[in-house]
Amino acid sequence: MSWGALYFYYHCPKCGKKFKYASDLMVEFGDEFGQCPECGEMGTYEKDSARTIDDGDYFEVE
Amino acid sequence: MKKTIITAAVTGAWPKKENNPNVPMTPSEIADDVYACWKAGAAIAHLHMRDDDGNGAMDKDKFRETVELIHSRYPDCDIILNLTTSGDILADDEARVAHVKELKPEMASYDCGSMNWLNSGLFINSPTFLENCGKLFQETGTKPEIEAFDPGMIANAAYYLKKGVLKAPLHFQFCMGCANGIPGTLKNLVFMKETMEQLCPGSTWSCFGVGHSAMEMLYGAVALGGNIRVGMEDNVMYAKGQLAQSNAQFVERAKRVIEEYGNQVATPSDAREILGMK
Repeated sequence: MSWGALYFYYHCPKCGKKFKYASDLMVEFGDEFGQCPECGEMGTYEKDSARTIDDGDYFEVE
Repeated sequence: MKKTIITAAVTGAWPKKENNPNVPMTPSEIADDVYACWKAGAAIAHLHMRDDDGNGAMDKDKFRETVELIHSRYPDCDIILNLTTSGDILADDEARVAHVKELKPEMASYDCGSMNWLNSGLFINSPTFLENCGKLFQETGTKPEIEAFDPGMIANAAYYLKKGVLKAPLHFQFCMGCANGIPGTLKNLVFMKETMEQLCPGSTWSCFGVGHSAMEMLYGAVALGGNIRVGMEDNVMYAKGQLAQSNAQFVERAKRVIEEYGNQVATPSDAREILGMK
């Protein structure tokens, strides 16, 4: 049984953008993991999970 | 020429239509996908079932319905059916093996240890469950596909091999890149392979990578002499920003990689021989 990648879901406190990062990219992103891809602001953590039903509402940063 | 086995894991317990509308959910959809994957080159189909809300379910009736549909609709299909014993982390031990007792599948999964599940629950494979499951598989003539999410689970398989709960030759599925399991890197895949060769020499292995590690594991498996699992259980995206159109699409890509490397794609008959199932 697998469950796909684990995602961290965020929204940007500055511009409101909703985005997500796959946890397996923590090494690649380092300190930038969780930052808004639009304005660089650190995102506000919402939840972490394998793909949620509303997954499509969140831009995937990769 | 070396032959490489492709396993298609067509649905799993997690992704839903909202994640990818092409994920098969019903017995009928799963049966059709299994056939398409077999036509594309898969020798093994790893099957999970879903309840009517799309959640993972250890539903003996749905397993039976799906297996019967595959056999009745597609009598030419000789794919090896590998039924999960881990399709719902809340299922009790009896529900996890009820379909194995009834259907006596050629192959079934054997998750060789416990772990945290998605940082939110427990994926329990107790010593009692593993002992009973291993003995049951011997009674039903079912080949265990030993899923190892980290090297400790390989050591655990060696323990059950020495104890007689498992019989050689073992076949491992290295589950790479799952949350709380070993990260999906080539270095880690080599380590898993070497650990297996030290503890359980003579075993065969396959692997898959979830998420971004999928392609690294595909190429790594072929280059290191292993076998490969693909499908929407592990990835609903075919490439960056591109939803998979079907499970067969993954199988077709794996077939291309295997053949471009210079190997041959194993038929189900080849796979039975490679895995010691004949």
